[in-house]
Amino acid sequence: MNWSNKRVMKWLMLVCALALLVPLAVVGCTKPSPPSEEPIVIGGSLPLTGVFAETAKWIEKGYRYWAEDINAKGGLLGRPVELIIYDDASSVEKAVTLLEKAITVDKVDLLLGGYPGTACVAQMPVAEKYGMAYISMGGHMPSFEQGYKYSFGSPPLMGQWWAEGLGPYLETLPKEERPKSAAIITMNNVIGESCRESIVNWMNKLDISILVDEYYDLPLASADALVSKCKESGAEAMFANGFLADGALTVRSMKALKYNPKLLFQSVGCLVPAWVEELGEDANYVFSGTGLHHKLPYPEVQRLNAVAKEKWDIDYAPDYFLFGCCWMQTLQCGVEGAGSLDNTAIKDYLHTHEISLIHGKFTFDEKGLPPSYTYLTQVLNGEVELVWPPEVASTKAVYPKPAWAE
Amino acid sequence: MPSSVEIGQAILSGLLLGGAYAVLSAGFSLTWGVTKVINLSHTVFALVGSYIAFWLLRFLGVEPILSLVIIIPLLFLCGLAMHGIIKQTAKRAKEITPASLVLTFGLFIVTENILLITCKADPRLITTSYSGKALFLDKVALPISSLISFALAAVTIAALYLFLHYTYTGKAVQAVWQDKAGAMLSGIDTSRVTAITYGVALASAGVGGVCMGLIYAIDPTIHLSWLIFIFLVTVLGGVGSIIGAAIAGLLMGLVIGLTGAFLPYAWVNLVLFISLIILLLVRPQGLFQR
Amino acid sequence: MMKKLKSGDPKLIVPTVVIAFLFLFPLMKPSIYFLSFLFTLFTYIALSESWNLIGGYAGYLSFGHVAFFGVGAYTTALLLIHFGLSPFYTCFFGGILAAILAAIFGYPCLRLRGGYFAIASFCMALAMPVITRNLDITGAATGLWMSMLPFNIFTNRMIFYEVMLTIALIVVLVVRHIEGTKLGLGLKAIGEDEETAEIVGINTTKLKMTAFVASAFVAGIVGGIYAYYRTYIHPSIVFDVFMTLIIVYMAFFGGCKSWWGPVIGAAVITIVNEALTAFLGMPGELARIVFGLTLMLVIIFMPEGIIFFIRKRRAPKKGGFASQPKV
Repeated sequence: MNWSNKRVMKWLMLVCALALLVPLAVVGCTKPSPPSEEPIVIGGSLPLTGVFAETAKWIEKGYRYWAEDINAKGGLLGRPVELIIYDDASSVEKAVTLLEKAITVDKVDLLLGGYPGTACVAQMPVAEKYGMAYISMGGHMPSFEQGYKYSFGSPPLMGQWWAEGLGPYLETLPKEERPKSAAIITMNNVIGESCRESIVNWMNKLDISILVDEYYDLPLASADALVSKCKESGAEAMFANGFLADGALTVRSMKALKYNPKLLFQSVGCLVPAWVEELGEDANYVFSGTGLHHKLPYPEVQRLNAVAKEKWDIDYAPDYFLFGCCWMQTLQCGVEGAGSLDNTAIKDYLHTHEISLIHGKFTFDEKGLPPSYTYLTQVLNGEVELVWPPEVASTKAVYPKPAWAE
Repeated sequence: MPSSVEIGQAILSGLLLGGAYAVLSAGFSLTWGVTKVINLSHTVFALVGSYIAFWLLRFLGVEPILSLVIIIPLLFLCGLAMHGIIKQTAKRAKEITPASLVLTFGLFIVTENILLITCKADPRLITTSYSGKALFLDKVALPISSLISFALAAVTIAALYLFLHYTYTGKAVQAVWQDKAGAMLSGIDTSRVTAITYGVALASAGVGGVCMGLIYAIDPTIHLSWLIFIFLVTVLGGVGSIIGAAIAGLLMGLVIGLTGAFLPYAWVNLVLFISLIILLLVRPQGLFQR
Repeated sequence: MMKKLKSGDPKLIVPTVVIAFLFLFPLMKPSIYFLSFLFTLFTYIALSESWNLIGGYAGYLSFGHVAFFGVGAYTTALLLIHFGLSPFYTCFFGGILAAILAAIFGYPCLRLRGGYFAIASFCMALAMPVITRNLDITGAATGLWMSMLPFNIFTNRMIFYEVMLTIALIVVLVVRHIEGTKLGLGLKAIGEDEETAEIVGINTTKLKMTAFVASAFVAGIVGGIYAYYRTYIHPSIVFDVFMTLIIVYMAFFGGCKSWWGPVIGAAVITIVNEALTAFLGMPGELARIVFGLTLMLVIIFMPEGIIFFIRKRRAPKKGGFASQPKV
């Protein structure tokens, strides 16, 4: 280092020191202006772009609709509700930093749940650290086993319960008709892993041998190699344990390679309108699971269907829209029940009371979960139908799956 | 143990894929060889080509192959512009290669984020009338889009080769590459020649992007994994060699296909990364390096 | 040669004041946001500075630095989960494992020149998330959870703040010291012209390995602490491709031939990024476009980094020895 030019070095050091310290001192110690007396701010992040965007944008619509609805009815605790929804672009890292930002910079009063599975897993510890209630879909059992007190799955869509709809349905079929073997391809993330657990459990329970069991990273560029493997194994049941884009790629591949299993199950993504738009005829006969559905025979659900028709001219409310509403509703119940915005009071209330949601009454255990359940769905004639359990089914399932249309 | 059909499928799918990799790598290899610049933004420009094809198809119903009419000249111009930027850098940097790494990295970030803003991060599928259809060779499926991609790749590589060996400009490119001072002495305008090299390279990247888009789903960040692939192909084939890129591309497609058949799919990329490291250690000049 | 600075020398006062201020900052009860932000800043300073040993001085652009960071993170996470050992101690073990990885990788690969080493190191960085994402022991795609420190959030953040500040400070001081030693000069000579350095008798292999392993050791420690701060780690968080690239960028931006460079680079980049995204609400993509453009401008017009650019403008031209960077 050339120290002989003292003035330069001194000048340089002074500049750097100022550059570091002045903004720090100014901004760090200025007390941020207190949140406005009026609106209650609820903040969080959703993957509005990226691999999870298709389903997430319906969650966003759910949140926003519910906020509008609350405001139209006089607000929450008499105050209007304002939402801050950041786009975490389907990145776990961003979901974490954006949530922290919402809490520490925007100083939101309440949190809104992030995308189930991947973002939730990472956001739940953040919410717990700051002692704020976090209500979402959860999606993943281990995250609920960390002893977090502030997290709730309401309803959750536990990967570990995913095949709870399919399993019992298959049990009703005579043994000879059931698929004898299965091929499972799973997206390599928390949701995929947890759904896979459920699928594998049921396959074992029903004595269906698993011939292919592979993982793939998102985004999936091409499904041909995997589908070819599945086809070659002769598996009679195919589990596309992934999301919308990779699910669509898988279906296309199956059609191109002429793979016709008796049963096709797709984990997440076939429940949104985009599935049918993307695949047309080929979208049909796919099974999946859900914790909420627009055909559930409850008045609140039907009301939301009407809302969807009015706002977006679609025949029914997509499930993710219903989920968004549900989580907001749970938060609302907690706030109104506790009578305040104190997150600890809210979480205590939710742990100890039964609340009424759009699809029934719910209680939460110490993990923040309701008792386990999942409905079985199937896409038929371009619509997502409920096919199990019989009490809520809107139509009968079609099995085995007809071959691909030309 | 995979069946013979699976293996056959793996081989053929792999070769078809290899064609796309080959054409994607050819321009990259050329740039590196001729100008010593490692263009990390090569694949992001290819992706721009893919997106143009996607949007033209979606909004105007234009067949991807026809969209090349726009893609090729556009990217050629981008190449010329890039040449200008690189020239500026070369004035002050001591060694062009590391500087080019950092420079093109900056370019890749800018372009990727422009794509993210304009096209959103959602994965896209180029869905043509022939998507989802396949020809069958016995029991092995040859998806039509992959066949078209391969044909496109083959034609482009042939064109590149002919350009380099049978046109005046092409031979000038080779001259500059082999002996820059000598080329200058014989009156070749090296700057113009280098500019054309960049133009051709990026134009071929655009074609590569369309080929990849016919087989793969695209999203603004996927160019990074393509970048790894073309590094492998370039190093394997020998920096600067078009034939090398072609053969190495096919070989790599084959390796990807077969690895996927024998190992769990999730490990395929790992095999590629490790292979690249080993290749760099053992034979960095590749198969055909001049 | 670096002159020994006498105490009381005015040049020491400014940095000392700054550093003391930083250590005492939490006592001013700033918002948690700032503690977190500065924590991130110190993390990048430590990473960039350690990278600079091999990347800046010796000119071996390693795009694999994040691999060491991640190894450290997973090490402390696993040791905490399975044995209940505190990461504040086990981070050193994380550093050692990272150093071992560096030794294994570096032994064959430091022979590669120029762009090839960059590619190979990048492959190493890309291989790590694939491995960790597919092995159950590292939590596969689920990731790993670590228990939180039993303090309130402010104390929690303050502890990490002080720890990372200390680490960053030590790293910077050590590298500053190295710069004047035979190791430092040897590395710089390698960066200038490796063949000549070898002819002159410098044991380039030994120096390169030392620098690479040392930088990995630091990155491993930093990763180990970072994991505990996050309490949830996942391959995409601790083996983030962007992180490995940005570390290189920071060093280049500030000037990779001096110990100042990475500090300036890390500070400016992190502050500007935060200012753009948090305060101006610029979407992340736009901020990155600004980055990309400034990176390009820097490399076109100031390929030696900002520090040298400023110095060249200020210092009167002196003839002579290779202390002046070549234009």
